[in-house]
Amino acid sequence: MSGRIAVLVFPGTNSEDETLRLLRDCGGDAELVHWTQAERLREYDAYVLSGGFAYEDRVRAGAIAAHDRMMDFVIEGAQRGNLVFGICNGAQILLEAALVPGTGAIRKPTAAFARNGPAPHFVCRHIYMKLAAKPSRCAITATLPDDALVPAWAAHAEGRLAATPEHLDEILAGNHLLFVYAHADGSIDETAIPNGSALGCAGLVNREGNVLAIMPHPERDAWNFNHLDRRDGGVLAPSGGAALFRSFVSAVSS
Amino acid sequence: MPMPLYSSRRRRRKEMPLVSGLSGAPNVALRDDELQRIRERLGREPSMVELHAFDAQWSEHCSYKSSRHHLKRLPTAGGSVVLGPGEDAGALHLGVHEGERYAVVVAHESHNHPSQVVPFEGAATGIGGIVRDVLCMGAEVIAVADPLRFGRADAADSHARRVAEGVVDGIGSYGNAIGVPNLAGDVYFDEGFEENALVNVIALGIVKESELIHSFAPKGAEDWAIVLVGKATDPSGFGGASFSSVTLDADEAEVNKGAVQVPDPFLKNVLMRASYRLFALLREKKIVAAFKDLGAGGILGCSAEITAQGGYGAEIDLDKVNVAIEGMAPEIVAVGETQERLIWLLPEEMAREAVRIYNEEFTLPEIAFNARATIVGRVTAEPRYVLRYRGEVVMDVESEFLTGSIRDDLPYTEVILHEGAVDELAAVDVEQLFPQVLAHRDVASREPLYRRYDAVVRGCTVLPRGAADAGILAPVPGSALGVALAVAGNPRFGRIDPGYAAEHAVAEAMRKVAAVGARPIGLTDCLNFGNPRKPDQYGEFVAAVDGLARAATELDLPFVSGNVSFYNESSGGRAVPASAIVGCIGALEDVGRVVTPGLKSADSALLWIGSRELAVGGSVIAELLGVEGALPGISYVGERAALGIVHDANERGVLLSCRAIGAGGMLTALARLAFDAMVRGRNLGVEIDFGNPLCEAGGFICEVSDEREIDLTGTLRIGRTIAGSELVVNEVRFDIERLFRIWSQPLDGIYP
Amino acid sequence: MRAVAISLKIPDNTAYTALVTLRRLCVDVHRLERSDIYFFESDDAAALAKRVAADETIFNPNKHRLTVLDEPLPRAGEVWIEPLAACRRERAGAWRLFDETGAPVSAAVLDAAIERLLCNPAIDRAVTGENARDRDNGNVGE
Repeated sequence: MSGRIAVLVFPGTNSEDETLRLLRDCGGDAELVHWTQAERLREYDAYVLSGGFAYEDRVRAGAIAAHDRMMDFVIEGAQRGNLVFGICNGAQILLEAALVPGTGAIRKPTAAFARNGPAPHFVCRHIYMKLAAKPSRCAITATLPDDALVPAWAAHAEGRLAATPEHLDEILAGNHLLFVYAHADGSIDETAIPNGSALGCAGLVNREGNVLAIMPHPERDAWNFNHLDRRDGGVLAPSGGAALFRSFVSAVSS
Repeated sequence: MPMPLYSSRRRRRKEMPLVSGLSGAPNVALRDDELQRIRERLGREPSMVELHAFDAQWSEHCSYKSSRHHLKRLPTAGGSVVLGPGEDAGALHLGVHEGERYAVVVAHESHNHPSQVVPFEGAATGIGGIVRDVLCMGAEVIAVADPLRFGRADAADSHARRVAEGVVDGIGSYGNAIGVPNLAGDVYFDEGFEENALVNVIALGIVKESELIHSFAPKGAEDWAIVLVGKATDPSGFGGASFSSVTLDADEAEVNKGAVQVPDPFLKNVLMRASYRLFALLREKKIVAAFKDLGAGGILGCSAEITAQGGYGAEIDLDKVNVAIEGMAPEIVAVGETQERLIWLLPEEMAREAVRIYNEEFTLPEIAFNARATIVGRVTAEPRYVLRYRGEVVMDVESEFLTGSIRDDLPYTEVILHEGAVDELAAVDVEQLFPQVLAHRDVASREPLYRRYDAVVRGCTVLPRGAADAGILAPVPGSALGVALAVAGNPRFGRIDPGYAAEHAVAEAMRKVAAVGARPIGLTDCLNFGNPRKPDQYGEFVAAVDGLARAATELDLPFVSGNVSFYNESSGGRAVPASAIVGCIGALEDVGRVVTPGLKSADSALLWIGSRELAVGGSVIAELLGVEGALPGISYVGERAALGIVHDANERGVLLSCRAIGAGGMLTALARLAFDAMVRGRNLGVEIDFGNPLCEAGGFICEVSDEREIDLTGTLRIGRTIAGSELVVNEVRFDIERLFRIWSQPLDGIYP
Repeated sequence: MRAVAISLKIPDNTAYTALVTLRRLCVDVHRLERSDIYFFESDDAAALAKRVAADETIFNPNKHRLTVLDEPLPRAGEVWIEPLAACRRERAGAWRLFDETGAPVSAAVLDAAIERLLCNPAIDRAVTGENARDRDNGNVGE
């Protein structure tokens, strides 16, 4: 079966076009769905929440969008086992909706991607995401190799995982930490973390493994022209960060 | 209908202190002779609305009355020009993909005075305005850039520091939110900008040439609807005081805060996407419409120009305008400068469809209070501009008289250059001085600043800001076409010689574009100068225009957009250093041919291609040593040859890496090549021999794999690359990691 | 300690969006006021007002209204959202909710708004008139 993928567009979303393009370049059957068309989400098997500033991050990053009508369908779909993939602002929305880490009730968040630290500024920096669990822990990463390093760009002002110590313990105990920030050689230290994120967290997965929230943008380092000095084939071919999208598309299709 | 040479709208400053005898209109800056002209032409006293209308339209920033006749000297045609200056933005032919010709749209302007007063919002609205200029050409907005000039900003609690921080955060917050990458820019910190920072902004767009939308009424537009789109009109920015006049002292700054607009990037994000949707529909229905951004002069300026430039008139009903508060005076509704608004001219049926797209499909009224698209008037065959308010005509004038060109011929004095004492430095202590050069505020890494900007949203970034001399995008999905952008304009040069500095700015911007493997296709400029009514300051402007014209003509590259900003002076009446800031746009047929950052391999030849003029005037080394001198000369024969050699070397596949020489000189360029290799894990250094490697003559430093493939005329082999991270110059050895630390940290203090 | 409230005098789109969302979440609120609260060590209200008004990073007379509060405490129907992690009180986001009679909402309605939207307890602390007094008495600080 070939699953259909919806790329959600809230007012203020700004990365929908490249996200859609990459999904399609990776073989996905993907379309944009705008906020006035929430009902259409019934027709899809997987949802991608892309980057931007949904509802201008009013109240908090992701807070209003988490209550948007579109999220009613996403939450319902997630509970049926559909895949949900949130990137940057999309990840913030998933934490506000409490689909990830999923240790509390729906829409009762137990963690947040909060204001960057120590410097509380927007940061745009190339990074690598390293798996902190087995790829099979999450359906979306299931076909990545164990030692996968996914190149991506951090580009956010609120990407620091923050939670109370008890909730951070739950994240670790429940194996919710899926990606951590790393250097190009796969090594991990404080300097690899662009935003002061707790646990060095770049991405979280829910208990069931069908909802993934990552702060960095692999879709911005996803074609050879984005990284000519790491190029692998023709300039227009997907590579680098596209690996994660390929894995997602194959999970949707299987 | 002749079109003005330069974009004739929007300047957000009014120019002169007010005229006496207009007690009812305290903020009107029209001069007595201008007022008399209006009375004579109308045959009566102007109404209050008319007074404000002429005040806005005849201001310097709308009319370019004291700059336009000089700007005519700039070359603006030929080569890649699709659309020269005259509309909201210019356009250059980028390339062909699948049989379609694509153009890159270019707009450029300043937001200096608002940014000095309210840095965050002043700078953010600068980005907001320039983005609308590109959007209204029917283009998708693909990039912004921001040449900045700040005061020294050393003291943490100084206003200059707050300007330096607030401007960067304002630019970042706006560009990041609308999802447009920041592709290029530069920054200088110089005491000459302590009381008057320069915030120039550039935006680029991409459009199929056949689908450009113009900002004037097309043939057959009679009776079309005038559709106002965007934010609800509010009183902010009206009459708040002129941002112009001669000084910006503390008290005035306080008053002037009222004139700074309130940016809304969230609304703009949705407005852009809704407009893209409407562009697609217009293409589908093959309708030629007109679209224009609202700037200075508000609804009035925009609707008058968009209709008059097609030979039409307009009738607008001010009661139909969506407003933020009720009961505003008609002149406020008509000329207020509320942000995030545009005007469409559309056939009736399409106008109704446009209203539906903006208001229902993209829910503008739910995005911001009373934001919407509204039909506010009609295009009329008779070329008169008529405004109604509560059923009464409050303005009725000939459109041509309102929007036509006016001209001020102001006296100026020729720039007198003070010849410097030192032309060349025989020997310098490189060991001691080079680390100081790298740590200099104008040389040190800009990353602390630009990492606050989203460089990669849209996913088409090839070389992000700061990775190389120019940023590069692949803006057409599915195509390898590339567009490059770089900016230049060294204020230390401007202080010594305004005209020559302008020439250097053109040459340097072109070199930066060439250094990444792109072919320069066009130029854009923003001229930031003092008071045009002071002959010496006006003379600097005239000299700079001459310099731009000479360089662009010699190097055969046209200007397609530009802006003039006058009255950049301190409370003491001192003008900012002459600042002709130039952007160069480049094209690549295949982004696979980009010259990627950093040294590539050991034992390759290092060549200096191009000018090796050793004059030290305006250089960092001269400042460090406390010497003065003349600027390096420019040989246009040499510049053209150097551009050609670099291009050829890349085409032949032997150009491994390349940097244009700029502030900090040749050795800084070499160090940057080594740094870029180091951060990519390539452990490479250089070994060179050259008299004064810190002079800032132009030209390129190139790493080539095979010299035999290159025309070596005018090139000098200065050394070779080596394995291991050492920079060896005249037998002085530097550890590259140590140099990198020295270079990368200085701006952390301002941008933590 | 003194608190200064900075609110918008132009339409507050964030307040509008929050209001619409709260109603969707069945919180019985009719009107909503939002302001940013800044805390200062200062005794002289007039001097403080002058100082804050001169700080362009906080206050723009074109769009802001500035009030030095009588006491640094949320009023009836009002919550201050403060970062949990802050080592000292610097700023808060204030939300004040009113019912259809124009009166501040009850503590129960306010609590519902806090729980459903205004506060993410993973990172925020919600300070109301009630719990602020508790804290002053040393009862909060788990």
